[in-house]
Amino acid sequence: MKFFQRYILLVFCVLRPMLAGAEVDFVHQVVPVLREHCLECHGEDEAKGGFSMNTRELFLEDEMATPGNSAKSEFLFLVEETDPEYQMPPEKKKRVPKEQVELLKKWIDEGMPWTAGFTFAKDKYEPPLKPRRPELPEITDGRENPVDRLIDAYFAENKIERPLSVSDEVFLRRVSLDLIGLLPAPDEIRAFLADPSPDKRTRKIEELLGDEVRYTEHWLSFWNDLLRNDYAGTGFITKGRTQISAWLYEALLENKPFNEFASELIAPPSLASSGYINGIKWRGEVSAGQTLDIQFAQSISQSFLGINMKCASCHDSFIDRWKLKDAYGLAAIYSETAIEIHRCDKPVGETAKAAWLFPELGEINGAAPKEERLKQLAGLMTHPENGRFTRTLANRLWAQMMGRGIVHPLDAMQTEPWNEDLLDFLASDFQVNGYDIKNVLRLITSSEIYQAKTLSVEGEPDSKYTFKGPAARRLTSEQFTDAVWQVSGSAPAAFDAPVSRGIVEPKEIEKLKLDPVWVWAALAEGNTASPAGEKVVFRREVSVKKKIRSAGIVATGDNQMELYLNGKSLAKSSVWTDLSEVSVTKNLREGVNRIIVIAQNGGDAPNAAGLFVALRMVFEDGTEEVVSTGPDWKVSRKVPGNTNVSKWDLKKMEWESPVPVYVSPWGDSLNSKVGRSLIRASKYTNAMVRASLLKSDFLMRSLGRPNRDQIVSSRPSELTTLEAVDLSNSQALADNFKKGATLFDGESAIENLYLATLTRKPTEREQKLIREALGESPDPEGKADLLWSIFMSPEFFFVR
Amino acid sequence: MKYEIDPEMPESLVRRDFIKKLSAASTAAWMAGAPQLVAGKGLEHPEAKADACIVLWLAGGMAAPETFDPKRYAPFKKGMEVKSVLSTFPSKPTVVDGINFCEGLQKIGSVMDRGTIIRSAVQPDLGSILHSRHQYHWHTGYVPPQTVACPHLGSWMTRVLGPQNDVMPPFINIGQRLEGVGEKEELKAFTTAGFFGSAYGPMNLPFPEEAAKSVRPPEGMTANRFANRDKLFRGLVENNPHREYASDHQQESLLRSMDNAYRLLSSEEREAFDITKEPEEVQKTYDTGRFGRGCLLARRLVENGARYVEVTTEYVPFFQWDTHNDGHTTVDRLHDEIDTPIAQLVLDLEERGLLDRTLVVVASEFSRDALMEGKPGSNANDQSRTRGDTMEELKAYGLHRHFTGGTSVLMFGGGVKKGSVYGKTADERPLIAVENPVSVTDMHATIMTAMGVSPKTEYLVEGRPFYVTEDGKGKAVEEVFS
Repeated sequence: MKFFQRYILLVFCVLRPMLAGAEVDFVHQVVPVLREHCLECHGEDEAKGGFSMNTRELFLEDEMATPGNSAKSEFLFLVEETDPEYQMPPEKKKRVPKEQVELLKKWIDEGMPWTAGFTFAKDKYEPPLKPRRPELPEITDGRENPVDRLIDAYFAENKIERPLSVSDEVFLRRVSLDLIGLLPAPDEIRAFLADPSPDKRTRKIEELLGDEVRYTEHWLSFWNDLLRNDYAGTGFITKGRTQISAWLYEALLENKPFNEFASELIAPPSLASSGYINGIKWRGEVSAGQTLDIQFAQSISQSFLGINMKCASCHDSFIDRWKLKDAYGLAAIYSETAIEIHRCDKPVGETAKAAWLFPELGEINGAAPKEERLKQLAGLMTHPENGRFTRTLANRLWAQMMGRGIVHPLDAMQTEPWNEDLLDFLASDFQVNGYDIKNVLRLITSSEIYQAKTLSVEGEPDSKYTFKGPAARRLTSEQFTDAVWQVSGSAPAAFDAPVSRGIVEPKEIEKLKLDPVWVWAALAEGNTASPAGEKVVFRREVSVKKKIRSAGIVATGDNQMELYLNGKSLAKSSVWTDLSEVSVTKNLREGVNRIIVIAQNGGDAPNAAGLFVALRMVFEDGTEEVVSTGPDWKVSRKVPGNTNVSKWDLKKMEWESPVPVYVSPWGDSLNSKVGRSLIRASKYTNAMVRASLLKSDFLMRSLGRPNRDQIVSSRPSELTTLEAVDLSNSQALADNFKKGATLFDGESAIENLYLATLTRKPTEREQKLIREALGESPDPEGKADLLWSIFMSPEFFFVR
Repeated sequence: MKYEIDPEMPESLVRRDFIKKLSAASTAAWMAGAPQLVAGKGLEHPEAKADACIVLWLAGGMAAPETFDPKRYAPFKKGMEVKSVLSTFPSKPTVVDGINFCEGLQKIGSVMDRGTIIRSAVQPDLGSILHSRHQYHWHTGYVPPQTVACPHLGSWMTRVLGPQNDVMPPFINIGQRLEGVGEKEELKAFTTAGFFGSAYGPMNLPFPEEAAKSVRPPEGMTANRFANRDKLFRGLVENNPHREYASDHQQESLLRSMDNAYRLLSSEEREAFDITKEPEEVQKTYDTGRFGRGCLLARRLVENGARYVEVTTEYVPFFQWDTHNDGHTTVDRLHDEIDTPIAQLVLDLEERGLLDRTLVVVASEFSRDALMEGKPGSNANDQSRTRGDTMEELKAYGLHRHFTGGTSVLMFGGGVKKGSVYGKTADERPLIAVENPVSVTDMHATIMTAMGVSPKTEYLVEGRPFYVTEDGKGKAVEEVFS
């Protein structure tokens, strides 16, 4: 047995090298000693006797230390001195313990390694916590938008020339990609360019912000990154992680005020939003810096406050003012049990007390139960006096729209902004307007500076950043993928995100008061059920007298049905439990519309047959109307052989009234779903399935969609060679372009292709080049290659 | 309000010849963007002993007592006691006196005079064995989860050393699917350049025989059309009327990447990806399965200047080396799969004069044992599928538990000693490392040192230093180098 123990000890020792043999670690071993004994007088803002340890350079002045020679290092001499006259730290202060002196000697003898850039000097800038509404400068040149008033003043002060405004084409492409993540379609572009009204840009912004589904499905990626939510990833395998997708989707769809949004994430009212604070649990033991409690501390600090709590989760941070205790204070709010503070994975013999970062706004009651503590934290986070909360998001939104934050990096909100007034104005305006995210986006996009030309700069600007105008941004992985699908019509039909693509509130369903009635042709005399295979046609005329905002149909048949609206097949169902749901906003017209349904019974013996259809129309004036199957429909037992229903001569067919059919399984299984489904259908805008709704695939990952194991707040700005290889030879992409090529035909094929991708017409020079390369009328291969060439060009790849 | 009029740019701006600038594409082409190297005081890189690294990854937990560290052999007898089994293969001598391998690995044994075996690699006990977690640790040097996305060993080399050949992707990962297999998300979590960004990430080639496809134009596109498409692309870029918008820096980086891609897809080097270009006998020698073919591909890639190549016996939970039951039979087959290709790879590199400057590492995330899960004192759950104190059928015969107390790593070439042993495991259970244990951190330090990268190399990530070996504390095992 003794033999056995010796080996364990041996292994243990090797895995955790003891100080004796190992080299001294500056950050983890030396810094704490200097901090404890020396910094009070010789660091940060103090330099008693003219000696500061803030940087290695300062430390070396006056031979206070000689790297590689502890015997020639004055400060060590003073530390070991016993004469009260000379000793350091001075009399009445605690002496440096012997083993720490040895450590310092070893450090000096090893060459006094110092982490590059490390300084004890305090960051001179300390960001304000409270919100502030700066006074707006005078309006110049009629530029009224508050953002412009602030920027114009900034430009004047820094003697910077205003960038030129962009053309309508550039504006349209930019604002569309920024707000809904999609390219404008050729028809939309032509209409916009032809529109002479001066407020057309403002109206376009409103239109895009009002496009709830597309807006949501674009911003979903931003929030998934920031809240590290995904549809697959580490942790799910052992059920150590849950999604917040459905909650997030609905929150974006209804533009949930951000204070409520954050509260529901921090103190989840239901399971739907709890995945965020519950983090990612891996099987087995994890380091003290990555427990679920600590993950909570890190996540809420980063997402909502732009604070990097990762350093402070292990030891007092060297890069900002946050301490180990702060990280553990937050962790203790979340933790079910008392947690012991660990410094670099070793317990320090202290239990964490629930606390939050800005006690000046209020405290957490550590004695309260967890649920209560989380609510308190949510309250403090969204406290009206917490300007850090609003500034952090305002800054993120600005960076999304303009290419760089007012504070940079985005997750170092302790950094001085390049324009405090601008940040404070955006943040306070955000708050004053009910934490309405769309309002911030509206304010920014309607400014002249947003609508200005992007900058041409060589590389990263150095030390002091000056804002000169918006920066071009690379398309995100999702924007690029969506654009391919959009232009080639090859978006997948199915998606992975467990979301309803359309928001449905319970009260809306209640208001609907839908009582589904199933109908079929009356039974022939003596029959107790409809014949197997019986095929009938239903019809219903719907008169539309008002302008429609949105409309949708739900339909199903036992056993199958196909529904036509104004001659167009729109819904099909071959299993009665499969409720077909379709938006028909664009298919209805003012006047008479006709629904035709071909329905067929199944089985090989007589059995119940039925059809259920409901159409909901929401009018521009806010009123609505529901038309659903009932005795006022018509049914014909003879079905014309011609499948082109618009060619049918309805007058020659024999029509009768259908009868209601009651079969309990239909109602039991469908009635509860119908209302929700119908409302969803009549809101849902036939929007293309988006990349944001899919699990990451090879190409998306290659284009920079992150594995969402960590919070991510910005995407790559460049294209790498490996990505370029993938783009150059991806079979899927080639197939998409091949498909896309067929969509551009006829005389204006090239013009349409340019409009659909670059939101502009080709120049003479480009047309000539294309003619030379591909001939007068390019074949599909040529057009596919042209599409590829455009997609790979810088003009396409950047939101410029 | 000033609007820009539809801009036909002045000739001078339009005609700037970007492509010409691009021909100077160099190392920087693969390199772009954030984390900055910390030019730490006193950081000196050791002199490189190798220019390329091939890791042959026996994923799933290769049992050292069944392979490179034979212990007392207990032939199968119905009803034999589990605790009596240390190894299910007889021990056979190798070409080097004092080094024995298990029966079935004689070919690798015959080249041991070109390499060193470390028999004392140890892993931490993580409380519960999850292969992908240990694999993450081995490949990044850090135990997950981590607050930042950690880069793979290959990404570190790519980041610090860059490519050997501008045209070749520096980091190529052969044999592991990342979709359609268990623990795929966990595998993806470390098969990445992490915070370095995808420029330093792996080119993944799950099927060696299909590798050629990944550097060919898409199917149905002739070489001629591919060249014409590139010409059209360049023509349109040169004649684009809006060159002034995005920064030159951004545009150039994009165009450079496109140019590199075209160069690879139309270069001679792309032939390196096609193993059918090898003589038939050579293909046959290597063709013991996907792993064998992967070894051949790895050799071709390194010959053409790849920096880091990994070949794996694919990790699929409960398959291959992950023997939760039927261990003996499975490992017997795996011997056949790895023996010839590994030996042949060493010989081929030697023949081509590349072995001295190529470090070949054969490793796995941990070892296995018939009785012990984890290591002495571990709380890890027993995950063996064959329970009971005795082995009643052949299926129960094997090493079915995960063991983290000591395992073997082989190294060839790249400045390591020839015909040498480092470290030792006990001869009786527990078979833990009893001499010179080597942690994952020190293993990284050893590999990095061979490649000429200091174990203290650090990059600033989110304002804090992040080291190539955990906290910069890795120490190379100098004794393995000649």
